[in-house]
Amino acid sequence: MRRGREAHPPASRIPHPAARILVSKEKILATTTTTTSPHGHADHGHAAHGPELQHHFCTPAQQKEAATLGMWVFLVTEVMLFGGIFMAYAVYRWAFPEVWAEAAYHLNTPLGTINTVVLLVSSLTVALAVSAAEAGKRTRVIQLLLVTMVLGVAFLGLKAYEYSEKFSHCAGYSTPAQWVGGGEQHAVYECLVPGQAFLFPADKTTGVSNAPTVAGQGTPYQLFFFLYFVATSLHAVHMLIGLTIMGYLAFITWRGVITPTYFTPIEIGGLYWHLIDIVWVFLFPLFYLVH
Amino acid sequence: MTHKEHEHAHAHIGPATYYKIFAALMVLMFLTVGAWWVETVVEIPRALGVFIALVIASTKTVLIVLFFMHIKVSSRVVQLYAIAALFGLLFLFVITMGDYIARGWPPQLGPLP
Repeated sequence: MRRGREAHPPASRIPHPAARILVSKEKILATTTTTTSPHGHADHGHAAHGPELQHHFCTPAQQKEAATLGMWVFLVTEVMLFGGIFMAYAVYRWAFPEVWAEAAYHLNTPLGTINTVVLLVSSLTVALAVSAAEAGKRTRVIQLLLVTMVLGVAFLGLKAYEYSEKFSHCAGYSTPAQWVGGGEQHAVYECLVPGQAFLFPADKTTGVSNAPTVAGQGTPYQLFFFLYFVATSLHAVHMLIGLTIMGYLAFITWRGVITPTYFTPIEIGGLYWHLIDIVWVFLFPLFYLVH
Repeated sequence: MTHKEHEHAHAHIGPATYYKIFAALMVLMFLTVGAWWVETVVEIPRALGVFIALVIASTKTVLIVLFFMHIKVSSRVVQLYAIAALFGLLFLFVITMGDYIARGWPPQLGPLP
C-alpha cells in the first residue's frame, strides 16, 4: 500500500507539515478535475487495474478492503438492531416461561423448519455465487443469484402464508383459503394477532380465554405474539431488501460490471444475505422450538 | 506490503468448503429440531433446552461467519469488527439482564410494598 502512495506526487513538495491539509485539499480538487479527463490514470503509475478503481484508493485490494470493512460496520449496527428485539425476548421469556411454551405451540413448526432449510440453501447459493464471480463464470453467477432470489421469494411466500393463517383466525375462518372463498366459520374463536381482538384459546372446548392476569399484563400471551410479529416482520423487510440487492447484482453481472478482478459488490451483497440467514438461525429455535 | 499480507489478501474459500459447511449446517438444523422433538417426549429442565438450542444456533452462526462470510481469511481489522458485534451484544445482555435481576425479575403478583 505504501508503494502505491509513493506513486503519487512526491511528498517533498509539501513545504511544512502545517500546510499538509491545504495541500491535500488541492490534491482532491486536482483529482476530481482529472476524473473526466481520459488521461486521468496516466500519471498514477499502476496501469494494471480496471476502471472500477476509484481515485481515492491506491490499489484494488485496498479498495476492496475498505468496502468490506464498511459493510461489516453496517452489519454490526444490524446485529444491534436485532439484538434489541432479542433482548426484549430474553426479558419476557425469563419472566413467563410457561406462557412462552403454551404460545409457541400455536406456531407452525413444520413450515418454520422448511423455511430454515430454504434460507440455509440460499446462503450456500450466495457463497457459490461469490466463488463463481471470482472464477469469472458470468452465467453461473447470474444463475446462482437467480436461484437465491427464487429461494428468498419461497421463504417470503411461506412466511406470508403463516401470517395469513393467523389473520384468518382473527377474521373467524380456520384457513386463509376459506377466508378468501367465504367458507365455513371457525368453530372456536381465536385471535393471535396482537391488538384489541387478541384472544388466546386457552380452553379449546369453550373458546373462552382464561389467560391469567400477571402484574401489569392483561394477557401475557400477547407479548409472545407481539415479539413474534415484530421480529419476523423486521426479518421479512430485510429479506425484501436482500432480494432487491440480489436482483441488482444479477443485473450488473449481466451488464458485465463484475469481473474476476472486481467482484466486491457480489461479496458484500452476499455478506448482507448471510446476516439475514444468521438472524433466522436464532429466530427459528427461539420462536418455533419452545417447550 | 509484506509477503504474508500479500498471501492473506488473496486467500479464498472454495466451493468444496462451502458444500461441507452447508452439510454441517443442515446436520445442525436437524439436530436442533430433533432435540426439540425429543424434549416433547423426555422431560428435561427448560433452561437446558434453551441452552441446547442456543449452542446449536451459535455453532451455525460461527460456521456461517467464518466460512460463508470469509472472516476466517479476512484481514485483522475486519475480524475485529465481527467480534465487536459480539461484544456489543454481550454488553447489551449482561448489563440489561443484570439490572432486571437485581431489581427482582420476574415481577411478583400482589399488592405493591
